[in-house]
Amino acid sequence: MSIELLNISKKFGDFVALDNINLKIETGELVALLGLSGSGKTTLLRIIAGLETPDHGEVRFHGEDTADVRVRERKVGFVFQHYALFRHMTVFENIAFGLRVLPRGSRPNEAEISRRVHELLKLVQLDFLHDRYPSQLSGGQRQRVALARTLAVEPKVLLLDEPFGALDAKVRQELRRWLRRLHDEIKITSVFVTHDQEEALELANRIVVMNQGRIEQIGSAEEVYHQPANAFVYNFLGNVNLFHGRIENGKVFIGDTAVEVDKTHAHVHSEDGKAVLYVRPHLLEIVTKSNGKQSFPATVKSINPAGPQVKVELVAAWGDLVQVEIDHERYQELKLAAGANVFLRPKEQKLFVYQI
Amino acid sequence: MFENFGWLSQSQADPRKSATADPPLVRFALIAIAMLFLGLFLFIPVAAVFAQALQHGLGEYLKSIIDPEARSAIRLTLMTAAIAVPLNVLFGVAASWAIARFDFPGKQTLLTLIDIPFSVSPVIAGMMFVLLLGVRAPIGGWLYDHGIRIIFAEPGIVLATIFVTFPLAARELIPIMQAVGSEEEEAAIVLGAGGWQTFLRVTLPNVKWGLLYGMVLCNARAMGEFGAVSVVSGHIRGHTNTMPLYIEIMYNDYHYVAAFAVSSLLTLLAIATLIAKHFLERRVIPVPQKGADEIETKVAA
Repeated sequence: MSIELLNISKKFGDFVALDNINLKIETGELVALLGLSGSGKTTLLRIIAGLETPDHGEVRFHGEDTADVRVRERKVGFVFQHYALFRHMTVFENIAFGLRVLPRGSRPNEAEISRRVHELLKLVQLDFLHDRYPSQLSGGQRQRVALARTLAVEPKVLLLDEPFGALDAKVRQELRRWLRRLHDEIKITSVFVTHDQEEALELANRIVVMNQGRIEQIGSAEEVYHQPANAFVYNFLGNVNLFHGRIENGKVFIGDTAVEVDKTHAHVHSEDGKAVLYVRPHLLEIVTKSNGKQSFPATVKSINPAGPQVKVELVAAWGDLVQVEIDHERYQELKLAAGANVFLRPKEQKLFVYQI
Repeated sequence: MFENFGWLSQSQADPRKSATADPPLVRFALIAIAMLFLGLFLFIPVAAVFAQALQHGLGEYLKSIIDPEARSAIRLTLMTAAIAVPLNVLFGVAASWAIARFDFPGKQTLLTLIDIPFSVSPVIAGMMFVLLLGVRAPIGGWLYDHGIRIIFAEPGIVLATIFVTFPLAARELIPIMQAVGSEEEEAAIVLGAGGWQTFLRVTLPNVKWGLLYGMVLCNARAMGEFGAVSVVSGHIRGHTNTMPLYIEIMYNDYHYVAAFAVSSLLTLLAIATLIAKHFLERRVIPVPQKGADEIETKVAA
């Protein structure tokens, strides 16, 4: 089922939670709503589910307005951030709930309910826990029970609110992969909310980057990462260094260093003025000798060689902290140590310049 | 020189205990004071009630209980509780639901108003009903003209009892409902449950122990209420006397056996209530959905 959001706005008192949101989600897509807390992403998800009513705008399922469709008739599956399992019911009864509350005419008999529940329990690999209570399960297990309970009613749309937010890193990774496979298998239109850019980039077909109740960009992982629509998106997706520079005669300067910039990545409208440059840590290079105008001096402050890349923290000549990531080979070559005076050079022209 | 002090070697074996425990003398003194107090003010008086009731033997005791006036008082007390407790539950569920789930103007006022019966003297509560529904008051007069008697009749007793008990279930349920939150109810609705189904299958089971506890408290108060009921009852023997009122009348008339026999019944009811309360209290706190991480299993690849 496709979902269309038209001019959705929502206020809580004076706080604007959503400001004129337009979004179309195609059948079978897996879409991430990515943003910081307070960006309105959960409110948007709850509006799709019908748990919240927008002040303005329409939610359309399959092209039809849902304003008069009650939550229980929307055929949406909603997985809550803290799972919201029924604490007084066993895992089996939790999953059977959606079947037991069906109208008498369409309610399956006890044998059929049992068959369907065990099928779902096998799908989430928890059949051996069917008689436990939610309080006896771990976070990852509860998450999967919540998912199985939602799938029991065969929803047309699956909505997940921070599905992996409360889990530790390892379990999160496993569940992420598992959810991706599940979605490939059952092809149900899915929307999930997350504040974790890595999660969004890894899981979603499309990412909706949200900020302060507005959509900043909609695109594939590649698009939002490599062609960010604006400074916010660039800043939000991954670590960045921020330089305050200026524009003179169409050229961008950091300190006294003129930097060549690819115009497709720059929001430079006028010839002169102040500018902010965003450079990802892995797009900066450390060299020991200045090679002229393209590099600027910095002093090594600290080095963290743990991990796939060596993270070096430097202080630029004008006092700003700069983070650089280099590979281990380069690190060996440079023989870096804290206090060393080096030069920094942008590796390529994919710098993000934002005029202020 | 310390080997004779068993407690010392014990606390040395478990250093965590010695760091936080009080000196044994203090511990002993505190326990002794608590026990002495309990004995003086609770066990001895309760025992005295039964001793007085049985002072002329079991036959006399039973005779005072099956006396028609005593039976009438017992019947009225039980009937009052049977009406007040369900109404209290109804009000408690409605009020706590409204307060825990919705934001509405006057919510804080409602929370404060619920406590009024706790802060007002029961005698004043009774007086309020007399002033409002007595024969000389406009409403009471109109009702009297139409053949409905409230004050100095059973309806007045029931009304006064409802008034003094009505915060009990609500006060018990509000914090529980707030702690449980509305997420499970939302989950039920998204899964296709209707309002009534959600209430019966999700809301009620989550608060049932708190609700039962509220009922126990309400029942105890409804049976034992004296002040408010005394004002509206009129003390018509065999007609508008509840057990506490009957006891007072018998006592004032020097019918000690009768007074203490009915007292002993009321005491037994109170003890049964306390036992019920004890078992319910353990289960009131909702089970948190935390912990048990040790049984995490890996998601097979």
